[in-house]
Amino acid sequence: MHLRRLHWLRLKVILACIAGVLFTAPVSAQVLHIGNTGEPQTLDPHRYNLRLEETLLNDLFLGLTTFDARGQLVPGAAASWQVSNDGLVWTFTLREGLQWSDGTPLTAEDFVYSFRRLQDPNTAASLAYFMYMLNNAPAINRGALPLEALGVRAPTPTTLELTLSQPYPYLLERLLYPTAFPVPRHIIAEHGDDWVKPQHWVSNGAYVLTDWQPQGYVNMASNPHFYAEVGISQVRYYPVVNEQSAYNRYRSGELHAIGAFPIGELDNARENYADALQVSDLLSMMYLVFNTERAPFDDVRVRQALSLVIDQAILTDKVLRSGAKPAYSFAPALLAGYDAVELPHQSQTSAQRLAAAGELLQAAGFNRSNPLKLVLKHVNGVENKKINLAITGMWRQLGVQASLQQAELRNHFAELRQANFDVAWAGWVGENNPEHYLTLLQSDIGNVNYGRFNSPAFDEILRDAQTMASLTERNQRLRQAEALVVNDYAVIPLYTSAVRRLVSPQLSGWYPNLRDVHQVRYLRFEP
Amino acid sequence: MRQYVIKRLLFAAITFFVIVTVVFFLLRLAPGGPFDGERRMPPEIEANLKAAYDLDAPLVVQYGKFLMRLVQGDLGPSFKQKDFSVNDLIAAGLPVSATLGAAALVMALVIGMSIGIAAGLRPGSAFDGMLMTVSNINLAVPTIVAAPLMVLIFSVSLAWFPAGGADTAWHFVLPSIALAIPLSADIARIMRGGMAEVSLEPHVKTAHSKGLPLPRIIYRHMLPIASTPLISYLGPAVAVLLTGTVVAEQVFDLPGIGRYYVQAALNRDYTLVMGVTIVYAFAILTLNLLVDIAYGIIDPRIRVASRA
Repeated sequence: MHLRRLHWLRLKVILACIAGVLFTAPVSAQVLHIGNTGEPQTLDPHRYNLRLEETLLNDLFLGLTTFDARGQLVPGAAASWQVSNDGLVWTFTLREGLQWSDGTPLTAEDFVYSFRRLQDPNTAASLAYFMYMLNNAPAINRGALPLEALGVRAPTPTTLELTLSQPYPYLLERLLYPTAFPVPRHIIAEHGDDWVKPQHWVSNGAYVLTDWQPQGYVNMASNPHFYAEVGISQVRYYPVVNEQSAYNRYRSGELHAIGAFPIGELDNARENYADALQVSDLLSMMYLVFNTERAPFDDVRVRQALSLVIDQAILTDKVLRSGAKPAYSFAPALLAGYDAVELPHQSQTSAQRLAAAGELLQAAGFNRSNPLKLVLKHVNGVENKKINLAITGMWRQLGVQASLQQAELRNHFAELRQANFDVAWAGWVGENNPEHYLTLLQSDIGNVNYGRFNSPAFDEILRDAQTMASLTERNQRLRQAEALVVNDYAVIPLYTSAVRRLVSPQLSGWYPNLRDVHQVRYLRFEP
Repeated sequence: MRQYVIKRLLFAAITFFVIVTVVFFLLRLAPGGPFDGERRMPPEIEANLKAAYDLDAPLVVQYGKFLMRLVQGDLGPSFKQKDFSVNDLIAAGLPVSATLGAAALVMALVIGMSIGIAAGLRPGSAFDGMLMTVSNINLAVPTIVAAPLMVLIFSVSLAWFPAGGADTAWHFVLPSIALAIPLSADIARIMRGGMAEVSLEPHVKTAHSKGLPLPRIIYRHMLPIASTPLISYLGPAVAVLLTGTVVAEQVFDLPGIGRYYVQAALNRDYTLVMGVTIVYAFAILTLNLLVDIAYGIIDPRIRVASRA
């Protein structure tokens, strides 16, 4: 009798355990589940290339400067800095007592090693040019100079000195990118390229990598050696490429935050998830680019006529309806400290513009019997097709016969780089710096100047601006350059993108911002 | 029989080689390379990257190196998933895809055979008509339609199953049903045809007249003959499953090799596309080979024909 009861008890315990494992294992209040827009290609900050990787790297590493919860620049691993009068030498003082996640002290030498590694031709860093302002960087990357020639040194363990080849007042902004993050040289020396594996992982950010299932998830845990307290100890990022799938997984409660969902669900989300919906501007520029080497788009009258009849507000408010804002300048109006130059025809009514455009096309030799024919290329996708259809509709008022040709993203940009197009859709997500946009039209920038725009006057002003150390003077000069571009109608600015997110009201500390960065260390679960 | 097997093996090996070669060169014909992004790439940086991945060598040399590595079982580094080798990625993704495929196949067999047997016992009856209508609807609902609908109903509205991921067995239920549905329809049709045919055979009639119970007749006297055509269907079925997993893994965010395939093709990740192609080609060819051999064992005519 006694024995049998014992057996029964044991069985009950086992059953309870099984039930416990089955029903409670997947749900844990402590872990933050975030849907990222895709699978990271690498977590090596010097080899990264994608915005969705920046999201993870911002949690794993800490650069000299960093973002606060609202996307503003604040001191990171550097506590303070000063710049020489000529703008060429920047001296950073590191925070006291910095450590790697394995407890090893982090010194200025680690930064020296990291900046050199980025330029090392063997690293093959695709974004090495982000730090080309460092003295001798391009030559080192070409293999023409040794790594030691780079303009970076550590006079003391807590002092880092960066020497530039030309003044670059946006340096602090540029240091926000993972290309300027420190990597653990003691671990790389031991494990080589395998240092990025979870079992060897060491970093200096608020979190460390604990597991990575390719295409499954990336797991991170808080770094006990990080200088500040964090509110969430575990976070799991899932690659969710499909926007509909992201939306479903948010709605079924599997994810606390998602990076994007279909535009078509926006009204539905406004109604049902008002407390979770975040629509915010992204510092970016979507534009049409003319192939200025190909007739008749080498004729400014044709470019101007095509630009005059585009109504950006209709595109954003009636066609796209995603919260995107119309753009009338090539450098986004959202830039801080810069007053972007608007298209000269903004003050005219649409009737005036249509009439003027008709005359311009006539003068360029096009009329009803000899209409302008062109192909507008764009990236595939329903939304892109809608926008570009609307644009061809606007051109049709002028008798222009435009046909659409769509391609998958990679093919599209490959064609653009080869300047194989008449008119094409392009986009740029940049930093808080007008130069980042304007240099896209510099004649010697390379193939990202898709339209091969070539204006010696513009190049001259830009080169001159790049010698200026004062931010206000430099921006002033850049405005003059932008005015030239705008009058030359090299591009048609269309709109700045908007980010659509759903963030669970359970989370606090998630603030919409222009750069769309949300480091987990600032987040808390609401009690 | 040995001659027959050797012949099939040889054919499989040649087919495999042709597939691998064609895909290798087709990939490199596609516009845009693995390092084309939206961002700027100065020429010296592009040169560094190409050197790091051997892309600066002539195509023939690249092909030679690829074959050399393949023989040693090394599929190379992934061009895009830089922190993993292709072997790593396939080792992580293949179990997910195989689990999904196997679960779907079992489910399709259970559903398809049940419907097929029930309908084939009384061909032409109202019961048969009803079952076959259901089955035709199943055939008409491809995975790409079934999957999102199931997510909407069972994950978002009812919250019975997760909408994506592969953390527990629970995560595999919806995707394998979505995959099994169209497949089950084919199986049901084949099964029904086989059953209808075999029910007219004299030995089945004899069994009935001897008063044997129906389950025993079905199991012992009808199934072995009626299910023979199913074996030859297994080859194509696996092909259907493989293409199906590509869709199901996309919709349900399952980290299987089907998902890699799509992403890698879009990213021009040459080595990863090659790796997954090799796995797929190998799976299909092996299964077809097994089916051929099984057929040879079951059907003596094939053995005789190959000897002649």
